[in-house]
Amino acid sequence: MRLSDLLLWLFTAAFFVFMLLPILVVVVISFTSAGYAAFPIPGWSLKWFARIFEYQPFIDSLWVSLELAVVSTVGSCVLGIPAALYLARSRSGWATAVTTFLLSPLSMPMIVIGFASLFFLSALGLGVSFLALAIVHTVICLPYVIRTVTAVYRGISPAYEEAAMILGASRFTTFREVTLPLIRPGIAAGCLFSFLTSFDNLPVSYFFGSAQTNTLPVVMLAYMEHQFDPSIAALSTLQLALAVVALVVADRLYGIEKMTVAT
Amino acid sequence: MKLNRRHFLGASAATGLAGLSGLPLRAQANTLNVTAYGGVWEQAIRDCFVAPFEAKTGATATVSLGGPAQWLAQVEANPENPPLDVLIMTPDLAVIAAEGDLMDEFTVEKLPNLADIPQEFTDACLGKGTYFDYGVGGITYNKQYVSEPPKGFAEFVERVSNGEFIASVPSISYGPTPVFFLWAMNNALGGTVDNVDPFFEAMAKMKDNLVFWAGPNDFFNHLASGEADLGIYFDGRTWNHVDEGVNWIDFINPEEGGAMTTVAVQKPKHASDLAWDYINEMLDPANQSKFADILNYGVTNKKVQYSEKLAARVPAMSDALLPPYAEIARVRNGWVDRWNREIGM
Repeated sequence: MRLSDLLLWLFTAAFFVFMLLPILVVVVISFTSAGYAAFPIPGWSLKWFARIFEYQPFIDSLWVSLELAVVSTVGSCVLGIPAALYLARSRSGWATAVTTFLLSPLSMPMIVIGFASLFFLSALGLGVSFLALAIVHTVICLPYVIRTVTAVYRGISPAYEEAAMILGASRFTTFREVTLPLIRPGIAAGCLFSFLTSFDNLPVSYFFGSAQTNTLPVVMLAYMEHQFDPSIAALSTLQLALAVVALVVADRLYGIEKMTVAT
Repeated sequence: MKLNRRHFLGASAATGLAGLSGLPLRAQANTLNVTAYGGVWEQAIRDCFVAPFEAKTGATATVSLGGPAQWLAQVEANPENPPLDVLIMTPDLAVIAAEGDLMDEFTVEKLPNLADIPQEFTDACLGKGTYFDYGVGGITYNKQYVSEPPKGFAEFVERVSNGEFIASVPSISYGPTPVFFLWAMNNALGGTVDNVDPFFEAMAKMKDNLVFWAGPNDFFNHLASGEADLGIYFDGRTWNHVDEGVNWIDFINPEEGGAMTTVAVQKPKHASDLAWDYINEMLDPANQSKFADILNYGVTNKKVQYSEKLAARVPAMSDALLPPYAEIARVRNGWVDRWNREIGM
């Protein structure tokens, strides 16, 4: 093995250790028998996983987070896919401006979006509600769908759609039978990013939190500030497992390789 | 069942539609929206205040978990129809909320138990709220490494400066730092609200033997890992660790008096009048006594009788100093700016 290859291998190994070790420590702490978070752990136990199911706000907020992630992902697709299809083929200068505008939530601090949205939606009478939260989450998830669908659609030759229409297909049939199957990896990638972005979001959800609308990250933060046990580590481990399951499902349905090409 | 795209998308859409039921949260006639911090706090609020309130009034109280900045923003955004009826606040935000005319006036006519709360606690909220719970910032130490802990702030500074101990102190990113650390130590060293030179000079002397914590859990990790021997922390949090089985930790209220870190309760204007019944339960001596037992923090009703275990732990109100929160609010930004320039953490 050449020296440069060896150095590259060592650098890669060190990089993965640096990235994965903190996660591994959290996973190990979630199995501790101690009543506090410390590493190394004195013994093994599953009691902190049991604690998650005993503490009702964790369960209630988990359902809110899941519902919110699904609603905002669906909302992002409904709004984002047509926009992406139009903007990807448009040569107008306006299209670039509109695309930049739609992607702008990516470049704004989330806490600013959350704070401003609270006042804006309250002025519209939506106040602190699930509907308001879903609207803001849709806004922050929208760029992921637009980005991935646009990237895939730009890589597809217009000749496929033109051929379908020359052969007599209506616009809708062309979309359903030609365009949609071709852009599916982009939609899947956008949905995956949207779902995970919404599910993990704290700064926006924080401002819309109430007994009915608190999401899991908001409850985790509130819990962590005044409780010292390792149940947050156990919850983080479960969240990690959920993300892994989502990736496996996405891989089974669409193939991770196709989706990563889309991004 | 085989997982295919159609099943997956159908299930996702159904779940999404099920979630489209949320309308704006509004105060309802027989329901009160109250607030609580998470974890053990939330359970204590439910057991000690929500349960007696519901039993006496027949009304229902829903508990919103979160933090004062979040709740105050929600009330500011909806001042005519606040989504919350009772707020738990930090002392500085309680002053801001009172100054912004967002909160209702507290009187003994509305709250009979207010008569047994020291008047200075209501005055500190400009009459639009009062304190119901307090902790004290002091010196928490690892008994395995510190056999003779410093008795006060001045001795703390001297021994840390000499390199006898590595100390873990709060960073400026932790909200209460300017009051429970900066003001308290400065006051103990002879400074005033308008002269914080003694504090910054002490920090310069100690700088080689300090580590900073950004959140309370960091402090415990510093002590547990041996990164620090002692530090500035809260009494109640220390006792909570002890009750969880950490037998190597102990707390000292500095002889100059630690800063009283209080929790205020306030009622937004236009919130339900049922809130007065709930707040009165929060100020009730029996309910407060139960609350103190769960949280290991002091409470403010003068008639409260602490259990034997707690009586040995909770510093008397006379042994702690009530920071001048309104005065501190006036100069706080300048302190933070100076901290950023001279300390940086």
